Amino acid sequence: MSEPALPLAGLLVLDISTFIAAPAAAVALADYGADVIKIEAPGEGDPHRHNYKRAATYPRSENNFPLQLDGRLKRSLALDLKTPEARPVLERLVKRADIMIVNFPPPARERLRLRWEDVEPLNPRLVYASLTGYGETGPDRDRPGFDVTAYFGRSGILDSARYEGGPPGLSLPAQGDRATAMTLVAAILLGLRHRDQTGKGCWVGTSLYANGAWANGTTLAGAAIGGKLVTREPPHKPKNALTNLYRTSDDRWLQFLMVRDDRLWPTFCQVIGRPELEKDPRFSDREERRRRAQELYGILSPLFESRTYAEWEALLSTTGIPFGVIGRAVDVVDDEQAQHAGIFSDTANPDVPRTVNNPIRLGFAKPRISGRPSAVGENNEDVLRELAYSADEIEALKKAGALG
Amino acid sequence: MTDSALPLAGLRVLDISSFIAAPAAATVLGDWGAEVIKVEGPDGDPNRAIMHDSSNYPKAEVNYPWQMDSRNKRSIVLDLKKPEARDALDRLIEKSDILICNFPPPVRDKLRLAYDDVKKVNSKLIYASLTGYGETGPDRDRPGFDATAYFARSGLLDAQRYEGGPPGVPGPAQGDRATAMALVSSILMALIHRMKTGEGSWVGTSLLGNGLWSCGVIAQAALVGAFLPHRPPPDRPRSALGNIYRTSDDRWLQLTIVRADKMWRPLCQALGLATLPDDPRFSGEAERRLNSAALAQIMSDIFATRPYEYWREALAANAITFGVISRPQDVPDDEQAVACGAVVETAIPDMPRTLANPIRLGFAEQRVAYPAPALGQHSEEVLLEAGMSASEVAALKTAGAIR
Repeated sequence: MSEPALPLAGLLVLDISTFIAAPAAAVALADYGADVIKIEAPGEGDPHRHNYKRAATYPRSENNFPLQLDGRLKRSLALDLKTPEARPVLERLVKRADIMIVNFPPPARERLRLRWEDVEPLNPRLVYASLTGYGETGPDRDRPGFDVTAYFGRSGILDSARYEGGPPGLSLPAQGDRATAMTLVAAILLGLRHRDQTGKGCWVGTSLYANGAWANGTTLAGAAIGGKLVTREPPHKPKNALTNLYRTSDDRWLQFLMVRDDRLWPTFCQVIGRPELEKDPRFSDREERRRRAQELYGILSPLFESRTYAEWEALLSTTGIPFGVIGRAVDVVDDEQAQHAGIFSDTANPDVPRTVNNPIRLGFAKPRISGRPSAVGENNEDVLRELAYSADEIEALKKAGALG
Repeated sequence: MTDSALPLAGLRVLDISSFIAAPAAATVLGDWGAEVIKVEGPDGDPNRAIMHDSSNYPKAEVNYPWQMDSRNKRSIVLDLKKPEARDALDRLIEKSDILICNFPPPVRDKLRLAYDDVKKVNSKLIYASLTGYGETGPDRDRPGFDATAYFARSGLLDAQRYEGGPPGVPGPAQGDRATAMALVSSILMALIHRMKTGEGSWVGTSLLGNGLWSCGVIAQAALVGAFLPHRPPPDRPRSALGNIYRTSDDRWLQLTIVRADKMWRPLCQALGLATLPDDPRFSGEAERRLNSAALAQIMSDIFATRPYEYWREALAANAITFGVISRPQDVPDDEQAVACGAVVETAIPDMPRTLANPIRLGFAEQRVAYPAPALGQHSEEVLLEAGMSASEVAALKTAGAIR
């Protein structure tokens, strides 16, 4: 597939954002053809460049693997937006851009004159995409938000995601950021559609908090009308033994999600080699099975511990009984099904030969192959030449400290 | 703002899907102006009953999950196993822009709902496919749910556990709703493609793909051979500055100090531990990591002495990033949840508030939610609009093809 066929080919994106949610949205746009220029501080650049060394929650590696995910297919312009000399450069870029992604907290935007109302006069066709932790207004709008705090903690997910009596659930690094990125992509695409329809640019945005609340929407919608919230019993005390976790003999976990146990119960009894349970009056219908969940667990648990995961998989896979293994990252990267689902792709970067695709699949285009992510300021000259800066002017910007 | 000014006004969506991820994508399109027709079988979408069927759902008098996932949709019941229903469906497909389908592949084949089947009817159609595990491969036919495909298979639940503990627990439909946004994005890309080329297309996403995308750091690390051991429990964290602490009023605070080098002194000040910065055990980031259990102990003792509100002020005054672990019941009344547009009012008397989709647009507001349809509530109306005569509709009814 040649690049012009990509749906976002020809669009210029300014990624003036840091860490993950907003930059990951820019990555997804780049994957599908957009030209993304990352504007970052000279020297250190986006602090996310250093997360693989600094963040305690990241797997240790010598290799800056997160950058392949969040910095791929971008050119880097190291521009110090705090210097007055940088402003004309930025303005020239804004005038040419189609999309500008910003995630600074509102006070920083104001200081740097990066709000929609600051840039709209420069380019009324610009789609301005805002990512905040907690929204654009309200008491916490200025609070820096991260996915653990804004997406997971504040939205009630971590509290929902715990076993009764246990500590709050855990989230993984950037887990909510990356989900939020898909929303920001959708917002930007709606903005482009609006531009096509009206000829006008616009403000679009999302917040980590709203995305966490959306992900937790079922529980929150229940809470909003005073529904009775449920607690999660640990696996050895299930409310429903048929939507529960069971350990196998090789210390893997099987997860059942038999929502339609009214239909599947007879099959299930056959598969587990206990056909007599089907007619057992203790478990004769859904209500009885729920009421005796603990008793049923007592029967099922030793049964599942008697075979390996692979044996159970072979027994269950053709039965229509929904189940899943608790996969491990180590297995997933070589999971044949993940290859079929288009989840991983090869890169042209020898240090990080494979990466994770964004989850959007298109029948008419494939995501671009990524090379080595740019270093801070690696594309300074390239970008400035495109803006018709002369060598002397570039030199002057360097001298003034505007360019890193 | 009138509905006609919404960005997706004038688009017709056939939501031929069940449960949550795919229907929620249709909901989002409806929020932004699309006309959504939900095509259901005679038994209806099982999501109509999930509040009762699933023990993980909060129980309420109002069928809030159905209201949330089906707002502003019309319902038509077509028994696609009957040949008469096919003609009716084709008429709808002819007049639609987007078709969302989440049946497992064998069911699509049986019902002739694969992309190849429907593009013959309407070559400009955007066909949006949602699967558990992708369109090909050994598990393509396996029914996928968010707990299994998004959370379990992806490695999320295994990674989301404390050392020695059971796997993490996802909230109901948590991965489904996140996946819906990827499906929406893919549909919007197809609309751009259609505008440029005049052609329809197939687009899609999978729950597994979205789960892996969300735990991309772990997956990308695994791809370069780096693995993360399970997280130690809160009393012996890897970093005491990225840990959770219980306050005296039994709430939890989550510290997320990314720039520990800069924030260590302000943190000590907020905690009222004036001498701690000089303690050689904690003098640098390496020392603090090495002695994180001791530091966590000191900090958890201090946090346990005062209530959440006190800490909220003390930490904010020192610019320390932290978050509260909200309980779900706190969120609907959180002023900030309203400010960020997450909690909105509805036109549904039984359910005055709901969750908006997280997209914000400066030029348009999401449509207000009206009650979700009863099963087959709009069957006749929709078919008459599609150009069928009253007698044709009556014949379909007699044949049991619609209801």
